[in-house]
Amino acid sequence: MARRHKAGADEAEVDMTPMLDIVFIMLIFFIVTATFINERGLDVTRPDSDEPPPETKNVTILVSISEVGIISMEGRDIDVRAVRANVERLIAENPDSSVVVQAHPQSESNLMVGVMDQARLAGAAGVSIAELQ
Amino acid sequence: MASRLAAKEKDEAAVDMTPMLDIVFIMLIFFIVTATFVKQSGLEVIRPEAQTAQDQRRVSILIAIGPGDSVWMDNKEVDVRAVRAGVEKLLAENPLGSVVIQADKKSKSGILMQVMDQVRQAGAPATAISTAKE
Repeated sequence: MARRHKAGADEAEVDMTPMLDIVFIMLIFFIVTATFINERGLDVTRPDSDEPPPETKNVTILVSISEVGIISMEGRDIDVRAVRANVERLIAENPDSSVVVQAHPQSESNLMVGVMDQARLAGAAGVSIAELQ
Repeated sequence: MASRLAAKEKDEAAVDMTPMLDIVFIMLIFFIVTATFVKQSGLEVIRPEAQTAQDQRRVSILIAIGPGDSVWMDNKEVDVRAVRAGVEKLLAENPLGSVVIQADKKSKSGILMQVMDQVRQAGAPATAISTAKE
């Protein structure tokens, strides 16, 4: 009887080596395939091109970028670094206003991103982009 | 003497592996949970600079627009009209992943807006334009 008990204690020691092998192989696979990409980016909202923009009480501040990269606001041509100051001034007048960047399809995206960045720096509630007709 | 030494060696050989196993399992679970299979665009671009950019989380699809307005996704050059179908296919694999568009500084706004329209029509939960730190 005592011998049988000893045999039972032996059986309790399961050989874990195959499981360990598998676990290590899985661990190495997941370490190797782990990709930690850190992308920084501007979140964008874009009004539907098919449907007209919703009617809102909020005033929209229009910033347009022409084909050759001239930025204009309220009928004046301005520099990209002056967008922030102008948007800040208009937001001070109407705090809930949102900014719409109208970019010509042939303008450079660098300029569009720059204008969006400036508008966000000025504290605009929402910056959306649209195509300049 | 000899038998005592042999017995001692045999005892020492059986190292308790339980703490190592615990650590290995925790590492395994961590890497399984954080595993995101990102679909690289396959094109290196010069990103525009921005100060208000945020770190993008859960990025799973990258679309690149080259300086010559070529659109790249999943390591292939694709037509701008094919972006929607491609994003839909990749979103089916990872429905919560967001899309990041890597537009080159010299690319045109028109093509960027077309790509953004296509991505939105495909139903991506979030879209962002990739930027560099100023």
